[in-house]
Amino acid sequence: MRRFEYHRADTLEQASRLLTDLGEDTFVFNGGTDLLVEIRERLRRVRNVVDIKQIPGLSDIIYDETRGLTFGALVTVGRLERLALVRQRYPNLYAAFASLGSIQVRNRATVAGNVCRASPSADTIPPLIADGAFIHIYSRTNRRVVPLAEFFTGPGKTVLAKGEIVTGITVPPAGDNSGKAYLKHGRRKAMELSTVGVAVSLTMEGGLCDDIRITLGAVGATVLRAPQAEAMLRGTSLDAATVKNAANKAMEECTPISNVRASADYRRDMVGVLTGRAIKQALEAFA
Amino acid sequence: MNMTTPIEQRDFKIVGKSVRRDDVLEKVTGEAEYTGDVKLSGMLHGKIKRAAIAHARIKSIDVSKALAYPGVKAVLTHENVPRVLHYGSPHPRSASCTKDQYILDDKVRFWGEGVAAVAAISEEIADEALDLIEVEYEPLPAVFEPEDAAQPGAPLIHDVGPGGNLVLDPVRINRGDVDAGFAQADFVLEGVFSGGRPHPAYMEPNVCIADWDGSNKLTFWTSTQTSFMVRGILAEVLGLPLTKVRVLVDHMGGGFGAKQDLFQHEFLCALLAKQTRRPVKMEFSRHETFVAGRSRHPCKIWLKQGFKNDGTLVARDMKLAYDSGAYGSHGPGVTIVGTTAATSLYRCENVRLEGRCVYTNTPINGAFRGYGVVQSYYALDIQMDEAAERLGMDPAELKLKNVVRAGDIAPSGHPILGHGLEICLQHGIDVLDWKKLRNRDRTPDPKRPHIRTGWGIGCEMHGSSAYPGIKEQGNATVKVNEDGTVTLLTGAAGLGTGAHTALAQIVAEELGVRFEDVGTIHGDTDVVPWDIGAFASHTTYLVGTAAKMAAGKVRTAVLERAAMKLQVSPAEIDLSEGKVFVITDPGRCMTVAQAMGPSRGIPAANIVANGTYEPTKSYSFAAHFAEVHVDTETGIVEVKRVIPVHDVGRVIHPIAAQGQIEGGIQQGIGHTLTEDYVIDKKTGRSLNAGLVDYKMPLSMDMPDIETIILEAAPDPGGPWGAKGVGEDPIIAIGPAIANAIHDAIGVRFRHYPITPEDVLKALREKAA
Repeated sequence: MRRFEYHRADTLEQASRLLTDLGEDTFVFNGGTDLLVEIRERLRRVRNVVDIKQIPGLSDIIYDETRGLTFGALVTVGRLERLALVRQRYPNLYAAFASLGSIQVRNRATVAGNVCRASPSADTIPPLIADGAFIHIYSRTNRRVVPLAEFFTGPGKTVLAKGEIVTGITVPPAGDNSGKAYLKHGRRKAMELSTVGVAVSLTMEGGLCDDIRITLGAVGATVLRAPQAEAMLRGTSLDAATVKNAANKAMEECTPISNVRASADYRRDMVGVLTGRAIKQALEAFA
Repeated sequence: MNMTTPIEQRDFKIVGKSVRRDDVLEKVTGEAEYTGDVKLSGMLHGKIKRAAIAHARIKSIDVSKALAYPGVKAVLTHENVPRVLHYGSPHPRSASCTKDQYILDDKVRFWGEGVAAVAAISEEIADEALDLIEVEYEPLPAVFEPEDAAQPGAPLIHDVGPGGNLVLDPVRINRGDVDAGFAQADFVLEGVFSGGRPHPAYMEPNVCIADWDGSNKLTFWTSTQTSFMVRGILAEVLGLPLTKVRVLVDHMGGGFGAKQDLFQHEFLCALLAKQTRRPVKMEFSRHETFVAGRSRHPCKIWLKQGFKNDGTLVARDMKLAYDSGAYGSHGPGVTIVGTTAATSLYRCENVRLEGRCVYTNTPINGAFRGYGVVQSYYALDIQMDEAAERLGMDPAELKLKNVVRAGDIAPSGHPILGHGLEICLQHGIDVLDWKKLRNRDRTPDPKRPHIRTGWGIGCEMHGSSAYPGIKEQGNATVKVNEDGTVTLLTGAAGLGTGAHTALAQIVAEELGVRFEDVGTIHGDTDVVPWDIGAFASHTTYLVGTAAKMAAGKVRTAVLERAAMKLQVSPAEIDLSEGKVFVITDPGRCMTVAQAMGPSRGIPAANIVANGTYEPTKSYSFAAHFAEVHVDTETGIVEVKRVIPVHDVGRVIHPIAAQGQIEGGIQQGIGHTLTEDYVIDKKTGRSLNAGLVDYKMPLSMDMPDIETIILEAAPDPGGPWGAKGVGEDPIIAIGPAIANAIHDAIGVRFRHYPITPEDVLKALREKAA
């Protein structure tokens, strides 16, 4: 493994300063489950890491019926996965958390870290965007809140400026009229990077679809929405024929690539299959 | 059962029982010392500079910056290492190999080949110094597919060998009259089969440590299945007598066959240590176990067989082409074994086989569990299923009709003594109520209408020992200590299979002492008797018999000594569970300790005996029954249930045998559905040399496995009829899965791995 310098920050202010002052090739070290592997496999050139795990106030999980679920940047995937509230109210998030890496990895990795890595195939991002989550960002001069859907600018790239640090994520409350699903496609049942991931979050009103968000993972430079497919579904009863047409539309809306994991054509096919299945699964909440 | 030689039966006390393995405590507590755990004072770390080009001549190498880098102690290139042509596969008794490797050459033959080596005071510094080595290449045209490499005018990868990029002269086998056979056939089936490049991905990456002492003796720790071969080739290439090379290996984290080559890093480690006069450690990264380790030979097979309408097989014409990668390694052995295997499994009197092995500019392929046979039996078994389909017959019935039987000549050319395939097949058919399964209601579950279910059978047979390719020899030394305990010395490596436990069980059983009283010494070439290596499913069969012979000799000596002390003749006494007693008067007895120990005027006994065994070969058999679920929308195939029925002769340790079978099925599922080490066919670069994108099935992907082990066909060549089990399970599971997929969706696949994309594409072609 290549050598790098380790710095520990005790406050957000100090962390932010280190990230600015240490210059290029400096990275936040949170769970480290991705960063350390990338250093070891020489996928990322790293001179400095800034450990934020000792910063107080970033480990809380709060749920409130009006604001929803908020968790700090240090909250691990495993902690959220084991929360009854997450299982009951956010089955989509639960599915994403439970499918990320291994149990050991989930006990170390954070959701904020998975989001900030900004991989198009990240499991947590599609259901968080579908749920309309937003992300809290600290900087020494300004704190801001950004909808997660606007956070990503490309593979591995986000709107974060030098010295900015994500402090937490808020997911809006899950109402009784909502249905949610996240489906992951891979070659294995665990320890797998998704070949395609599809999340659906919808609300029903009087037997008709009031709102729906469909997000597609690993089929574009960032996690994508499928706005045209969504538009075809709003106001309908989500009958099989409409869902089928919308799933076909979602296939047109994605921009997959071919690599050793799967071909672009196959990924596109799976967007169609998984979109249909995810809508069906989300509707099971009303069964 | 078809026995020509009687096998001794007895009331077993230790054999056949799943005794607690002798290594289990150290392993679960983390105390077990693996090669990578060895730390020596002043130890340096070695790293290898690898080429990022598939075929090139090295115009120049500039190591000056690397040598000047603080902490670097030595740099080796082709300009300062001995230039000795040697075998990659260290089987000197195998005449089929060509010497085609140098430690470092001025030529690169595959992307990832080592071109220089660095020793430094830390792994990090060694790694950083690699980037400072500047290599100028003159690119050469490269070939990545055997069919391209075999074309006239293709770029030649080696100057040695038979030429035309052949690793060995084609292996040709002719029995009977194939043309006459086809003339009698009612129908002929023809198909092209192909296999990918599965990689063994053993848990413990290759690692070695070299240390030279003041007398110029090399001590060499290495994770190897063949420590005496490593000793022999290191001594030969370094110009040393065998007394000056000592090879040590204690626990291993797997090998699956691939750790029986002599690897480039092993020479380089020894040379770096020699030059720096300090111990040097070299440990592969996971990436390196792929690019610089060994994988299974990709293979293409053209198979044509003629059948009568009653299902009789009348002619077989088969051509096989194995991809050796850039060096010969086990290519010759794999080609010979994989080709000759096709003389059997399903009986056919008229057989024409031709096996080739071709160099390509890709990473080296070597020995791997199922050694060439995985490929050839995949083709034979699937085509048998196709014949059943054509005949409108149950494949179980057709296979049962054609399987190899008593009196048939084995692929090795000698008659098999314990035949078990027919028994395995019939047992599985009965246990599963196969006819009912075949005729089950195939209406899809309305809740999951996209899922189709299928059942398939795969058959295999595999030899224990590499006879006749290698004339094998097993050795063991057994000593009885004065307190009645027993020490077994063996050169057989412990890959993690529990082989040493089985050997100790055999010694305890034969000698008549408790299992706990037998200690095993292994893994030190200066101490233990010579060993050919742990491979070819032969340790229990070969070394087990040698250990039984040695134990039998010391038993006789112990009885003589006890008889003297009890003042009876040796014929009057017996030895069981550590006690010697007079047969007609069991009250007159003494412990082995009392027999061995000193008594007034008589010193303690020193009883030592050797056993040497030179076997031919036994064959083990299996029929695997597999259930798959195919998702017709995603193409994902899930293996739900496997019933492996094996005949392995006498079972020494049931849980260990079952573990081998379950592990082989896991690896075989990977080969068939998800695992393929992919080389870019434009550049020769590895596309998934790591465990993120090389997909081995994990615990969650495993089906229910209901292992059935029969002891119906023992072979007199093994201890109480024991035969091998290591390789068998990986051979039968592949065709079982492919045949089950056909049963589920009516699509015939003739390659592996069968990916979800392949399934979806085939379903669409079928629907169109």
